[in-house]
Amino acid sequence: MSAAAIINEDQRDCYQELTNVAMGQAADRLARLLNAYVVLPIPKISVIENSDLNMALQGATSDNSVSAVCQGFIGAGISGEAMLMFNDASFASLASLMKYSGPLTQAAELELLMDTASVLIGACIHGIGDQLEIVFNQGHPVVLGQHCDMADLVAYGNNGWDKALAIEIHYTIEHVNIECELLLLFTEESVRALNKKIDYLLD
Amino acid sequence: MSDKSEADTIKDIHWLMDILQNIDVGLVVLDRNYEVQLWNAFMEGHSGVSPQLAKGKNLFSLFPDLDEAWFKQKAEPVFQLKTRTFTIWEQRPYLFHFRNSRPITGRSKFMYQNTSIIPLESVTRQADHLCVIIYDVTDTAVGKLDISRANQTLSEIQVRDTLTGLMNKSAWLTVLESYYASQKQGCLLLLDMDHFRDLNHALSHQQCDEILRRIGAGLKTLGDEQHAARFGGEIFSVILAEKEAEEAMQIAEKLRRSVFSLGKNSQHTISASIGVAERLADTPSASEWLSNADKALYHAKESGRNRTSLFKR
Amino acid sequence: MSLNVLICDDSSFARKQMARALPEEWQVEVHFAGDGVEGVDAIREGKGDVVFLDLTMPNMDGYGVLETIRRDDLPAMVIVVSGDIQPDAQERVKKLGAMAFIKKPIDADKARSVLTEYGIMTGA
Repeated sequence: MSAAAIINEDQRDCYQELTNVAMGQAADRLARLLNAYVVLPIPKISVIENSDLNMALQGATSDNSVSAVCQGFIGAGISGEAMLMFNDASFASLASLMKYSGPLTQAAELELLMDTASVLIGACIHGIGDQLEIVFNQGHPVVLGQHCDMADLVAYGNNGWDKALAIEIHYTIEHVNIECELLLLFTEESVRALNKKIDYLLD
Repeated sequence: MSDKSEADTIKDIHWLMDILQNIDVGLVVLDRNYEVQLWNAFMEGHSGVSPQLAKGKNLFSLFPDLDEAWFKQKAEPVFQLKTRTFTIWEQRPYLFHFRNSRPITGRSKFMYQNTSIIPLESVTRQADHLCVIIYDVTDTAVGKLDISRANQTLSEIQVRDTLTGLMNKSAWLTVLESYYASQKQGCLLLLDMDHFRDLNHALSHQQCDEILRRIGAGLKTLGDEQHAARFGGEIFSVILAEKEAEEAMQIAEKLRRSVFSLGKNSQHTISASIGVAERLADTPSASEWLSNADKALYHAKESGRNRTSLFKR
Repeated sequence: MSLNVLICDDSSFARKQMARALPEEWQVEVHFAGDGVEGVDAIREGKGDVVFLDLTMPNMDGYGVLETIRRDDLPAMVIVVSGDIQPDAQERVKKLGAMAFIKKPIDADKARSVLTEYGIMTGA
């Protein structure tokens, strides 16, 4: 069975457009928080196998030392998880934009990571939810690690699923060295429910 | 759908209020000036502040310990961007300082808390209030802290000698390599117990261990900048950082004498031989440096033991 | 001769949504382009008197299209339709000559009000 079988091309296109709108709303919030311009990329929609997750993450950032936060969300029988990864090199610029004074300790970086994650993840999943008329409830964020090797982040694996829909958004901030990757993952059962909503939009 | 009777609606609201009061999470509603508008039973129970007292009061005057600047940094974007925000105990253990309320199963002095801060919209779609939801995550936090402490101990075991608490050989060799690479001057010291096998036969294992432990303790008094290790068995190694030969020999002699004094009140002779090698301009590698110290140690043994030798070409 | 309207977006779903949002009574010829390069070609062929233009697209993005229109003085009234709702993005496209900016997701009301506000659709 081909990896792409859980969504067809029209649906992929639709997911991409919904994400495009949602990430724009998220970027707008982040831009207002940081008072900077967020450069919007074309989101990448793909279907990945469980075993490819690590590879997908490796490709996600150019730097190997990263910090990451995960947050689950659920609504109308559809659940997924968001993961926000920062290149560790981003924190210095992030701190100055957020007007954090004081030394950039691990604790200070955690604050920055959490503040940014709240804004980006929340706005993005609610943006997608709004367009599909789903109210998503967010769970509590979990710190996956700080200054980790990318390979170690998900070393303990995500079991219980074979295929998932992956939405990757690579945000950069203009003129400063801030790079982060937002990954949304929906497992197969949720994709089936999502596809129904999508088909309704596509009619 | 609007033909629901007024009585039904009132009943629903009544139920909801009951649930809010009894739910085992903290609920606080604040207005734009951080004045308390709602304060549920969880909050009352843990803080001792009643809803009547809390209502209309400024949160920060009610709880002066609460870090106002930090909390506002989290809460302002909620008002301005109408976005939810979350804090976790790893950032700050708690927002409100609540003492442990469980004398038997409570393992922490205070309650660890995660919080969600959500915007509440008015009819004009403005976020003019926010709701802070406080979760008790003490059990999770204590469990995680236990694990991270256990992991730390495990990684310490990998670099520490458990008997003396000094570095083990492999850790010390790594330190030696990087010390050598840093181009710093200094001396290496190798200390080997004399006739330890005989001592092992004569004394109990515990007594022998005690001797090693005391030597370890003696080496620790040299300070952290002098990197000491249990090199193996009854051999100890030290990098005497930035010490010249003369001073290193004085330290070595003092060590040798203090080892010898361990047997003062015993019928057994306890002594050690020590080799010292200074890093010379032409010492080509860390391993050559170590081998020079070993040659000096051999010289001390050959010359009759219980003595200190300095490496000479 | 009826007006030529070009919808330039890389998403077929977004193109369809846009087409559906156009006022029913507006007598126009609707054309489509899947990226900036196709879009510029279509404008040169006279298919874009009015252009609904997305910003994030492969090959050439919306900013590139606006720059080309300005540089080559192509006859097109451009309305940017984008998910990038940062105030900065709106300012930038206006500076590049876009007539109006509509936030995605598009709906019929927004389309109608912009079209009448700028006098593109008359007699409605």
